[in-house]
Amino acid sequence: MQKIIDILKKFDIASIDKYKSTWVRCKLCSSEDLVQVAKALQTNGLRSLVTVSPTDFLDDNKIEMNYFFEDYITKRNCWLKCDIPREMQRCEIDSLTPYFKGANWSEREAFSMHGVRFRGHPDLRPIIVTQDFYNKAPFRMDFDWDKHEANQTQNIKLIVDELKNEQIQNDKLLGESDMMLNWGPAHPNSGPISLKVHCNGEDIISIDPDIGYVWRALEHLVTKKDFIEAIVVVERLCFMDNINAIIGYAQAAEEIAKVEITEFAKWLRVLLGEISRVTSHLMGIGGFFNTMGLHTVAMWCLDMREYFLDFFESYSGARIATAAVEPGGLRWGLQEDMLDELQKALDKFDDTKSSLEAIFIKNKTMYFRTDKVGCISADEVYDYALCGVVARASGVKIDVRLDEPYAAYDKITMDYITQKNGCAVDRLNMLYEELKQSIDIIKQAKKHIHEGIASGEFNPTKDHKVKFPKRLPKGEAISRVEWSRGEVLYHLVTQEKATNPYRLKIKAPSFNHTMMLNHLLAGQTISDIPLVFGSLYICQGDLDR
Amino acid sequence: MLKILDFFQYAKGESLWMAHFCSGCCSLEMAAAMGPRYDWERYGYLPTASPRQADIIVITGLISKKILPALLRTYSQMAEPKYVLAIGACAYDGGPYNDSVAVIKNATEILPADAFVAGCPPKPEAIIEGLEQIKDKIKHGVPSLASQSGLYKEMDF
Repeated sequence: MQKIIDILKKFDIASIDKYKSTWVRCKLCSSEDLVQVAKALQTNGLRSLVTVSPTDFLDDNKIEMNYFFEDYITKRNCWLKCDIPREMQRCEIDSLTPYFKGANWSEREAFSMHGVRFRGHPDLRPIIVTQDFYNKAPFRMDFDWDKHEANQTQNIKLIVDELKNEQIQNDKLLGESDMMLNWGPAHPNSGPISLKVHCNGEDIISIDPDIGYVWRALEHLVTKKDFIEAIVVVERLCFMDNINAIIGYAQAAEEIAKVEITEFAKWLRVLLGEISRVTSHLMGIGGFFNTMGLHTVAMWCLDMREYFLDFFESYSGARIATAAVEPGGLRWGLQEDMLDELQKALDKFDDTKSSLEAIFIKNKTMYFRTDKVGCISADEVYDYALCGVVARASGVKIDVRLDEPYAAYDKITMDYITQKNGCAVDRLNMLYEELKQSIDIIKQAKKHIHEGIASGEFNPTKDHKVKFPKRLPKGEAISRVEWSRGEVLYHLVTQEKATNPYRLKIKAPSFNHTMMLNHLLAGQTISDIPLVFGSLYICQGDLDR
Repeated sequence: MLKILDFFQYAKGESLWMAHFCSGCCSLEMAAAMGPRYDWERYGYLPTASPRQADIIVITGLISKKILPALLRTYSQMAEPKYVLAIGACAYDGGPYNDSVAVIKNATEILPADAFVAGCPPKPEAIIEGLEQIKDKIKHGVPSLASQSGLYKEMDF
């Protein structure tokens, strides 16, 4: 940590301080220094630029850029800030993409949403937003959404026209050596994403993922809700694992409000979060085999998943949209007999586990198909700032639950799980190993909660929540959670006496993973697309937000 | 003669295939409905990859601006008679994304649905119930709403 501070002090800085246990927060005086500082950080190990988050301060007439650098090996991180002018013509900053490959799409997103132009960016096209938002910077505070909505028909026409133009262009290329093939959004394996595949016969030349098909502008929607209502928006990041998504937001809000949650709430968050992870990973394993055309595994996994959803249903009343976590703890208390429902799910998993492993996970045919396909090396993980299952499959030891423990994870016995080669089959094995780890954590948490209730340490019907204030002071916080797909970073900004968030940036893991598709698939054949796509464990919900 | 026609309608209703098209979160609950516990295949439903073979298209929750042309195209590629099922609050009025501009709030005005399933997301039982309603309509020879009206007819997609 001290080393990072020493490096930064050589430059012209306005402020510097330690933040949480693993972060150094630093504000630069001038945005001109950014590239030099970033290069200095990179040579000292902070190789991953996880996200770029602009915050628009309308009153101060400035845009504050936030850069989050992470070092995956020594777990020292740096949060760099600098101001740039707000006027559209002068709103410029040097691009970091030539040095950090992972910054590519993050900078394109900042360009589309806030109108920040990046000097020297190799491919500065709008991303996520539809044609009607081009060059309009919809996430700026002075953007008039109602006025934009007034001519909806016109906006839709723009999108349709663009689609038609594209089709005419593609028709011309038909049968040429550089043909354009659309994979999705109506492909059964794709979900709402479209990959523009340039191919020469069977061989892929390049892939340009076209995303934004489920863009709901969640980050903007949050600012229209108060701090409790916002959980409904945040959990819709992706329904497969919504609990961990809300935990991250809640932690950021609690940090600004300076609210400490109870021990019982921490344990319950671990329990619910891991169950949520299990339901997500089961879908992930099923989806992986679906992409190879084997639907039996998905059926087995869906069957197991139902038992875990039964627990959610008895606890919160909803199967997947639970809204169970809120700033200040949990929404509901726990009745001890609800845990019997969970025991049924755990028993079901233990029953099925050995067959699933013997028949499918260790299947030779599957292994021959998926080995040496879509391999990611550890260096690529650092450069592209990948995380979660994908990073760990390449042998990189990162896990927010261990690096920066939140909730009650510091009292859980667990260790990093990694695979060696980073190929598609390793990512599947990784999912399965993590599934078993999560089941183990659930058992630990369940045992602790049982003991706590028996000894009178926890009062399950009262201890779940502490009072959370309606108005929050001015502040800024980041919070990280290990989501089922990887690290999610929330950057929450509030103003004086705030009733609703001023700005929430969600760094979602699928964003960087989708960026990898071109790198992984160029030079391969078309039949590998579904397999690599499925193995990267992408969810369109958090890809577009 | 009448009886044979009735039989055709019965047969059509008992083997409804749906175009595999997901546009929102509700498709997760569709997956659960396909799964072993709810198993919609016992009622004759089956997802199919090609819209040419499909009888139903399901609006699974939210329709964003970008996916609307894709939805309408998939619908237009289906063979007559075709029916539309809308599930989830988003398909009705935007649901939790009602305040968001990126989402189409009147999806069922653009493409009228023959049955609507409420919920966010609806439970798999409810989705099967909605499909049963469409089955009833087909058996009684009720034409689909989308064949009679809808803003999509004026849209040149």
